[in-house]
Amino acid sequence: MAPDPDAALMLAFQAGDDAAFRALFEKYGHAMVAFCHRFVRDAARAEELAQDVFLKLHRTAGRYRPQARFRTYLYRIASNHCLNELRRGEYGAHRARDARGREPADPDALPADAATPEQAAEGAALATAVQALLDGLPAKQRAAFVLCRFEGLSYEEIAEALETTASAVKSLVHRATVAAALALAPFGAAGRKEAVP
Amino acid sequence: MSHPVADLTALLDGALAPERRHDVEAHLTNCAACRAARDRIAAAVATVAASPPPPAPAPGLEQRFYARLAREAARPSLLGRIGALRWRVLAPVAGAGAAAALAVGIAVRHRAVEADLARNLDLLENFELVASLGSAETHEDVEVVAHLHELPEGRP
Repeated sequence: MAPDPDAALMLAFQAGDDAAFRALFEKYGHAMVAFCHRFVRDAARAEELAQDVFLKLHRTAGRYRPQARFRTYLYRIASNHCLNELRRGEYGAHRARDARGREPADPDALPADAATPEQAAEGAALATAVQALLDGLPAKQRAAFVLCRFEGLSYEEIAEALETTASAVKSLVHRATVAAALALAPFGAAGRKEAVP
Repeated sequence: MSHPVADLTALLDGALAPERRHDVEAHLTNCAACRAARDRIAAAVATVAASPPPPAPAPGLEQRFYARLAREAARPSLLGRIGALRWRVLAPVAGAGAAAALAVGIAVRHRAVEADLARNLDLLENFELVASLGSAETHEDVEVVAHLHELPEGRP
């Protein structure tokens, strides 16, 4: 495995270097908020969850061992935290409402940098469709899909983050991606809706 | 080879072992249905990748985090809070427990006194009965009278 500079930072923090932790927060803070947002779609709650993840990282730094990449370790904490949040069931109302009305769950999610109003509307519709897709997935499929498609983790890294096997991750990601192919067909180049066999 | 649909996503993600990838790619060259399925999956992956990202957090994320970290650090730890709670919660509980034990002790003692009194009343009645017969003359007679209440009911 190639040297992991993030693991080196975490070890430096273990040794008392607060600046090393600050560097990790600078690098992953925004990404962690975005990751949490994929689960709770509420900007304030997503930030709170991301802060929880870093607080836990800070408190339990002494337990960190650089056996896996730091990024995998961080996403393991974050995935557990977000899955627990989903288990608490606080987002059922959002899911039911969006399944009925398909209205944007978070107006902040509308793309602000679209070139034309049509592009902005299309981007907003796609964001809403992706959110509805994520909300409709079983929790573990959702986590595997988000880690794969948005965070760019390999199947092996996802397996470590979700404490499962690479074979299970392959199945989780495939089923979620087939669901995406069905749900997002209207947004594809040809707008096809036929099912994957 | 059956249709390797379950491997198509992993193929696109570069997550198949080389031998399996070779087999699946060979199948795709001869199977239009699987090629179409692969293309639909690839289109979905591209569509997801093109979707707008979640909203960025408001400026000051790091400051807000470190402010919260400072607040959390200022709070006593869980063990410390349990320690502080110990005397506030455990002392009344211990006091209530002692009072309950005392009450139970008093009740038990009271019941023992009542039982002793009842036995003595029985003995008194027996003595009165025996005395009325004029047959309690010796120490053994007194002992027998004292244990009359232990005789089974209905004995002739």
